[in-house]
Amino acid sequence: MNGLHPKFAVVGHPNKGKSSIVSALAADDSVQISDTPGTTVKKRSFPLKVDGKILYELLDTPGFQRARRVLAWLEQHNVPADKKHEVVQQFLYEYKDDPRFSDEIELLEPIIEGAGIIYVVDGSKPYGEEYESEMEILRWTGQPSMALINHIDETDYSQEWKRALGHYFKMVRTYNPMQTDMEQHINILESMAQLKEEWTASIKASIRLFERYHEQMLEQSARSITKLIYHSLSYVETLPFFLEEASINEKEMLEQKYKDKLRSFEIKNQEHIEKIWNHEHLQKEETSLTFEDLDLFSEETASIFGLTRKELLITGATSGAVTGAGIDLFFAGHTLLLGGAIGAVVGGVGAYFGFNELSEIKVLGKTLGKHYLEMGPMENRSFPYILLGRAVYHTTQIANRSHALRGVASFKVDSKFKEKWLNDNLRKALEKYHKKFRSAKELDAEELAEYERLILKILQTLVG
Amino acid sequence: MNLKSYLDLYALLKSDISSREERRSFGLIHVMMKKNSIEQLLAWVDEHKIKLKRPLLSETFSSYLYSVTVTLMLVAFVLGLVSGIGLLNYSGHEPVNVIYFIAMVVFLPVFTMTLTLFSMIRANSSQSLLVHISPAFWMEKIIHLLPHQVQDNLKEIKINPLLANWVVIKRSQILALAFYFGLFFALLGMVATKDIAFAWSTTLNVSPEVFHDFLHTLAFPWRDLYPSALPSVELIEQSQYFRLGDKLSEEMIQNASRLGEWWKFLAFATLFYAIILRFMIYLLALLGFRQAVKRSFLTLDGSEKLLKEMNEPVISTHAETEEKSFIQEDAVYGQIVPALDASYDMVHGWAIPKEQLAVMRDSMQVISPQLVEVGGGNTLEEDSEIIHRSHGEVLLYVKAWEPPTLDFVDFLEALSKQVDKVIIYPAGTPQEHYRAEAKKTDVWARKLGTIHNHKVWLKR
Repeated sequence: MNGLHPKFAVVGHPNKGKSSIVSALAADDSVQISDTPGTTVKKRSFPLKVDGKILYELLDTPGFQRARRVLAWLEQHNVPADKKHEVVQQFLYEYKDDPRFSDEIELLEPIIEGAGIIYVVDGSKPYGEEYESEMEILRWTGQPSMALINHIDETDYSQEWKRALGHYFKMVRTYNPMQTDMEQHINILESMAQLKEEWTASIKASIRLFERYHEQMLEQSARSITKLIYHSLSYVETLPFFLEEASINEKEMLEQKYKDKLRSFEIKNQEHIEKIWNHEHLQKEETSLTFEDLDLFSEETASIFGLTRKELLITGATSGAVTGAGIDLFFAGHTLLLGGAIGAVVGGVGAYFGFNELSEIKVLGKTLGKHYLEMGPMENRSFPYILLGRAVYHTTQIANRSHALRGVASFKVDSKFKEKWLNDNLRKALEKYHKKFRSAKELDAEELAEYERLILKILQTLVG
Repeated sequence: MNLKSYLDLYALLKSDISSREERRSFGLIHVMMKKNSIEQLLAWVDEHKIKLKRPLLSETFSSYLYSVTVTLMLVAFVLGLVSGIGLLNYSGHEPVNVIYFIAMVVFLPVFTMTLTLFSMIRANSSQSLLVHISPAFWMEKIIHLLPHQVQDNLKEIKINPLLANWVVIKRSQILALAFYFGLFFALLGMVATKDIAFAWSTTLNVSPEVFHDFLHTLAFPWRDLYPSALPSVELIEQSQYFRLGDKLSEEMIQNASRLGEWWKFLAFATLFYAIILRFMIYLLALLGFRQAVKRSFLTLDGSEKLLKEMNEPVISTHAETEEKSFIQEDAVYGQIVPALDASYDMVHGWAIPKEQLAVMRDSMQVISPQLVEVGGGNTLEEDSEIIHRSHGEVLLYVKAWEPPTLDFVDFLEALSKQVDKVIIYPAGTPQEHYRAEAKKTDVWARKLGTIHNHKVWLKR
């Protein structure tokens, strides 16, 4: 670790959202955020690292606890402005082992070592005179500084805050850590770059990297969703049975196993997506049910994420027509293009009547003396869209969730979500691959990459 | 770059033995290769191969494939030898019809090579239909007849269909070459050890001149270099044979010594059509195979990810250390005042200006002779003086939204030593009509719970 990169100490009064801001700026949901003062007792570093090299470092610090006492000690020293930081240094030296000032030592130490100051206040609560001793101490350090007005609640006192903060800080900016707005994030980074000339290049490089990082996360999510759809559609579950005929119970057991496996694929993908977007500490009401109470195989899920009967008919017809057209092509059009027409009708009708069925249960191996039931690959044409819709929805929710948010996450289902991402052209493009996935044949990595590109486009549109 | 390195990459990607950071670190060390993905992947395979369990899957597979290929090559060579002997078998009664031999060494190779070229074109698109007629395709099937232990070793291998097609195409050419070498040696051996009378015979109405023109065309690659390896019109006339009649024609018997001269043409035809052209097809297959390996390298499941991870920077923003877990205590405080008294000896406001305190006091209908601001902009000396003057029961207003700092705790401890009772009243903002939200009061309750001071009470 080198000491030349810019460092920024996020400081302020206790419980004003310092950790929330660090959590959002560092995209790290492991930061402990609580309304109990004193949650942060030690400074914690959040470096932006590129290939192990630190471009800048954010430091989450404890809040001021005995600011008046510290200021009183500093003011005992009547020194010119250029010597004031030396007095702060002296304070740190004298009180470094004094538990009364442990919080002040933790927060002032990095500043005296050269860190820029990001002073955080809550703009939703009125300004108070008690903040002045904190701001005065920071002024004594002589380090470049800016103030961030955080809005913890709805009320707005930012004007009075701006007037007061303007006396102490070169820059005053507003930042809402609960919003995952890339533009807002970049604006803050640009402000940080202006604090000191030597830091500008490093922070500007960080901005470009943040944009690339975002793109990387979208690409990884698209890859994960592609794998989910492919594995789920091509999955085959088997169950041996020992009598002449399989019982209803055994058939139900097979269906249950098949469904459970697909559910587990979905959960695994969700965990992976949460990891990609640094939301590993996300708490959910129930792991198995992601969207309120909507199970993967419920009718409600199908009605929200799946295709309508009309869409299903068109999709089936298009898919059938493609196969039929292949026959026409083979006979060089001597079929008078009847292949395409018949394919469309057969495909469409098949899709229409198979609306609620997942996959046929087949009895196999009778001639070989081994009896077993088989279910899969997925035959239901609406299911890929249900699974994909849920995966895309979950990803957009995770990607747009602030890292400063704590508590149990519940995803409210948007009944019009499908309209936001699925149109006729996209459905046609996706159906081509769904058909291949359903065939359970080994796929070329290139074909999966093409499907992945389609998913990436969807995510780029929805997440940005 | 060969099948072995492809299989090593396959095994490495499957076992996923390297971390994101290790992959990037490799990419940075080999930054010169960044523009050549294949070179990068090969270097990665070389460096990481050591981590694969022994025996290597690639070595096992290649060794079995090599054994099967060599066995089949020997079989093909022997078959070629036997076919050659069969075709050239001269009983002494009837001459050997060269048309059979020409069909075997010219037409059959040209036909199979055309099929091979067609397979090569189709190989890139999907599993080629024509591959199934190749003996090498069946050679793959032979692997399934190997002992169980061998099959278990090979079970995990899934070769890209494109690459599998080219493996089969390439190996088919080797087998065909072995077969025709056998045939060629049979021809040389038979010519050297036997006196063979060659003739040509056909049901079709073909004159010797037309047949000569045909042979002249076939012999285009060597006719100028070795004119003696092209039968003359006279020889063709002399060696035409008609099956009707129970004995050979007079002319044929008179020129018996010349009939053997056909062997040169047959040897050159075998050498050019069955061996040289096949060898060229083999080189073409080799080229196609290399291209297929290259393509398969890049389309192998996981290789795109590997390349991305090698060439894209590792960006991380999170903390390197885990934060010590914080357990929030219950907001239960035993000393609660449900309602304020009508009067107090003093009213203090922590960081609350005197004017605002007066409003709060009036709105809550509390009587007190003294209203004092403490904390906030006061100096510590000013606060000490206020504490010194304080007595009896003190109502201490605090801003509910500002959590208690240690500065406040210091003041409270000093004040409680001086007075009989302190009632802390967490007040909301003027917009909230000084009524604090319950969760804000909870924060105060939790903090007071840690102080354990019997004189300090909380108004909830």
